[in-house]
Amino acid sequence: MTNSGSSAKYLLEAKSLCVSIDNKNILSSLSFSVAKGEVYALLGGNGAGKSSTLKTFLGFNLPSSGKVLIDGDEVNESLDKVRRKTAYLPENATLYPHLTARENVEYFLSLAEISKSQSEIDKAFERVSLQNDARDKQLQTFSKGMRQKTAIALAILRNAPIFLLDEPTSGLDPVAIDEFNNLVRELATSGATVLMVTHDVYGACQVANRIGLLRHGELVGQFEAKQNEKIDTELVHAAFAQRQTSEV
Amino acid sequence: MSNQTKASLSISPVLSVAKDEWRYWFRSKLAMSVLLIGVLLTLSSVVVTGINMIELAHERAAMQNSSEDTFMDQPDRHPHRMVHYGHYAFRTPAPLSMLDPGVDAYTGNSIFLEGHRQNSAMFAEQKQSTGLTKMGNLSPAFILQVLAPLMLILIGYSAITRERESQTLAFLLAQGTSMFTLLTGKGLALFSIVILIMLPVAIAGLFAIVQGESTLVVLYFLFTYTLYLLTWTLAILLCSTLLAKNSESFTALSFIWILLCIAMPRIASTSASVVVPVAGKLETDFAVLADLRKLGDGHNANDPAFNKLKQSLFDKYEVDKVEDLPINFRGAVASASEEELSKVLNRFAEKRMEEELAQTETARLFGWLSPQIAVRSLSMLTAGSSIETHHRFLRETETLRLDFVQALNKTHIEQLNYIDDINRNNGEEGWAKARVSAENWKIIEGFKFTTDSPAVRIERGFSSLIQLLFWSVMLALLLSLASKNLARRASF
Amino acid sequence: MVAFTKHIAREWRFMLRQRYVLILLVCAFILSSFAVFTGVSEVSSQRQTIERLKLADETDRLEAQAKYDDPGSLAYYTFHLSYSEPSNLAFAALGERDTYPWKHRIRMLALEGQIYESDAQNAELAQAGKIDFTFVIAALSPLLLILLFHDLSANERTSGRHDLLVTTAKMKIHLWGARIVVRLLAVFLCLLLPFYVAAFISDTAWSSIALVSLWCFAYFIFWTLISVYVGRKSSSAPRVASALIAIWVLFVFILPILGDLAIKQAVHSPKGGDILMVQREAVNAAWDLPVETTMDAFVAKHPKYANYKKEHEGFNWGWYYAFQQVGDQTAANLSQAYADASQRKYDFAAYVAMLSPPMLLQRKMTRLANSDAIAAFQYEKEIRSFHAELREFYYPWLFLENDFDKAVLSDLPNFNNNENQHKKQNKVDTNER
Repeated sequence: MTNSGSSAKYLLEAKSLCVSIDNKNILSSLSFSVAKGEVYALLGGNGAGKSSTLKTFLGFNLPSSGKVLIDGDEVNESLDKVRRKTAYLPENATLYPHLTARENVEYFLSLAEISKSQSEIDKAFERVSLQNDARDKQLQTFSKGMRQKTAIALAILRNAPIFLLDEPTSGLDPVAIDEFNNLVRELATSGATVLMVTHDVYGACQVANRIGLLRHGELVGQFEAKQNEKIDTELVHAAFAQRQTSEV
Repeated sequence: MSNQTKASLSISPVLSVAKDEWRYWFRSKLAMSVLLIGVLLTLSSVVVTGINMIELAHERAAMQNSSEDTFMDQPDRHPHRMVHYGHYAFRTPAPLSMLDPGVDAYTGNSIFLEGHRQNSAMFAEQKQSTGLTKMGNLSPAFILQVLAPLMLILIGYSAITRERESQTLAFLLAQGTSMFTLLTGKGLALFSIVILIMLPVAIAGLFAIVQGESTLVVLYFLFTYTLYLLTWTLAILLCSTLLAKNSESFTALSFIWILLCIAMPRIASTSASVVVPVAGKLETDFAVLADLRKLGDGHNANDPAFNKLKQSLFDKYEVDKVEDLPINFRGAVASASEEELSKVLNRFAEKRMEEELAQTETARLFGWLSPQIAVRSLSMLTAGSSIETHHRFLRETETLRLDFVQALNKTHIEQLNYIDDINRNNGEEGWAKARVSAENWKIIEGFKFTTDSPAVRIERGFSSLIQLLFWSVMLALLLSLASKNLARRASF
Repeated sequence: MVAFTKHIAREWRFMLRQRYVLILLVCAFILSSFAVFTGVSEVSSQRQTIERLKLADETDRLEAQAKYDDPGSLAYYTFHLSYSEPSNLAFAALGERDTYPWKHRIRMLALEGQIYESDAQNAELAQAGKIDFTFVIAALSPLLLILLFHDLSANERTSGRHDLLVTTAKMKIHLWGARIVVRLLAVFLCLLLPFYVAAFISDTAWSSIALVSLWCFAYFIFWTLISVYVGRKSSSAPRVASALIAIWVLFVFILPILGDLAIKQAVHSPKGGDILMVQREAVNAAWDLPVETTMDAFVAKHPKYANYKKEHEGFNWGWYYAFQQVGDQTAANLSQAYADASQRKYDFAAYVAMLSPPMLLQRKMTRLANSDAIAAFQYEKEIRSFHAELREFYYPWLFLENDFDKAVLSDLPNFNNNENQHKKQNKVDTNER
């Protein structure tokens, strides 16, 4: 993996992060960190600031105060370096519908200036269990789960040690969710660091090591998730008790 | 659901769809600014072009009068001198040319009439132009033909796609609103924009009626433009129904607009000039000249070409010397040769005009490929600013020319003594004697060029009207097909 | 740079997979080919017309020269062809040649009565305008570029790919830069390939081809930058395109039209009809005036002929041509004012063109192709100087010498003889601008 030489203890770190857009506070003094090999889930309702947190790690939002660090580097100071280490999976995993899964992967790899052989690409597809006959079909025929698999195959091929996942399981059927969660766990065991934002409480508990509860842009709680254990429902309800305004 | 699309149309849902569309426009800055700019643009073009054309009409009428006055104010002279002194005819623009000036600036609007020659109309305004209006001009016709469709597109492209993107379309259909109601409502809302844009034009139309244009023609003129913009409304609804996304609908519509309104008119005129080439006047003049040489020079009574005329006059008056003729033989020669010459000139002029008309009609055929071309032809034909009207101007001025020249020749024959005539170059006295009274210059009649009758103009535009109707009917059919298709489809 | 070509190659393949981009490019190629093809055919038909006219003119003149023997009648009955040949670039910029005349036949009578005769083409077609390469570039190419570039990022945003693309790309320029370069290149090829083919056939000068390429390229870049700039942040492609098309309408229609109105208000010109009236009055009045009055006015401008041979009473050709010339002299001020006004209007339009890139490009192209109003003014000047040469040729025989020998007709000035010299002048003009 390319994270050789990293000295940071945490691969992802938010330090008293404040973000405001159009004079509205979106995130206020948010602090959390994700260690190598850890899966961290940010849980929250609509408008809690989950996607904004992710976008700040991607360098699309500029912090008004505080810091976001990836592998010890401040995101906005070394954007290119940081982006090479992250693989981002957008909510709808929309790649190019007129290209096949393979062509999509090849296109994005070329953008990232990474060259991979066909066998390596096939290996990645196998790892995300994308069927052999689907790999050369146009993406417009794919279900959401299959598109997501393609996007993850791409992330694997990019050798990125850090995964940023935006609502990865929304809109998937239960079987696909299961498959996806297993894949994320598998990635984590092989050393990947994962930050996912979700509003799926039970899914998060299944896949994450730690869970942060986000409300009105503030971290209101943080706990270790132990599978099959009772969840502090009160805390969760508190996090989801939102103003009923829609997300920006 | 298909039952609901076979609309039992009741008015109130349609109106509320239209009202909702207006509310959307009011809340969207884009639609409102486009509408405001559109109405302002039309208004200013109506005012500027109106003032300009009325000024031109007055100016040309005044010049016509002054030309007639100077002619009649000439002193006693040899009548043939007046044949060469010549006369002017001006083409006064039709009242509706303040809405569509048509070819006015591209053809000369005055013509110098003299003996033995057919001059072309000179001083086309375009020749003294800045070259800046090559792409488009401020005339209301241009605004309505080219810019109004663009405005309608900018305002209406998302009529159905918007509902589809926000998934309100499924919602509306599911609650029993038919696609037909929806499209009629949206169409009605867009049509009200058309009415707004047409309003300043209609006011100018009223003004044209005051100026003497027939009410029927003005109404017909306004109707054709409304039909044209309605065609675009249908096209916009069609694209918006067929395509799934706002951006697709917009791109498709702007592409269609570029092809039909910007590229096609020029493709039409270029194709016409390639397919039906017309030889320039200069070239046909050689043939004219060759034919004219056969006729003999009317200034030279001794030209052998006039021997036959001489003989017939001798026979008629039973004399055997030109001096004994009771009439002036030189005048007779001038008159006869002018008659023949005019026939030759007209034969060539008619041929040229026919060719030019054939070329124009070829360009008009492209109306089947673009409604803009159909409405452009229709508009010029109805307003009386098309090439046909200019050709009639040329014909009428030729009649005017021949009439005054022959009237002068008649004076030459009857009132000027032959002996005085041939001695005209013999000293001051001979010079003074060879002239007739200025009273004879009163033969000039007031020339006023008027537009063709309403019936003629409407009949000329018939095939263009059919083209326009074809477009609107075809689009209406396609729209109804597309809407049925969309309403039946399960996924949006 | 080597690395960048890899990205270019990738984006090129990517572009070829997008149907709507391909449709746009194919349309652009067809339109450009059509414009260039018809331009070439128009120019060749103009050339053929000139050849036919030259032949007919020659025959006609020889016929007239055989028929008459005295210099007066010869000057009266012989016409002389003048023309302005289309340049080797005219196929790409037909310019004003459909409004201004480019061929005339004149004789030694008063020139003001002849020079405004125009052998114009079909007015209704001229009003619609013709499609030529210049129009395709100046008016249509911006629309093409707008359609291709407005949704460069908006489309990716609405499809939710924007963030993924940006975070994946190693450098922004690899993505957006390569995409822009590829589309720009494609547009350039589709629009200019037909031009290059036609330019090769038409034997166009390399410098002209290079200059046209440069202008087109700069013009494309201008519109690309505007499109990309307006669309850089928006996620609504239609909004971006609306704004861009509004800018296009402003540049192509509104600004030029406003400029035209302003210039028309600012520049006053005598009416063309007045020139003819003045000239006509002068020529006609002369018949009734004493011969001396006319001859004095003539000699004042032509002192060489002060000792003209005085003929007795009655008609004589010398006097006839003298009052023709005096007619021109009387109208000279008006005529000059008219020409000046035309020139001034065209010159003022240059300032308006500064505000409107499409107009600027059109003026540049037609200037280079020598098919603009300036070329037409120049041609008019050439006719005037040719008319003067013609008069200078006949005047000695009309006013001084007695024994006219028809053999001297072989020295009759000929319009084409001056052609090369004029061409050189035009070149200098082009360079100055």
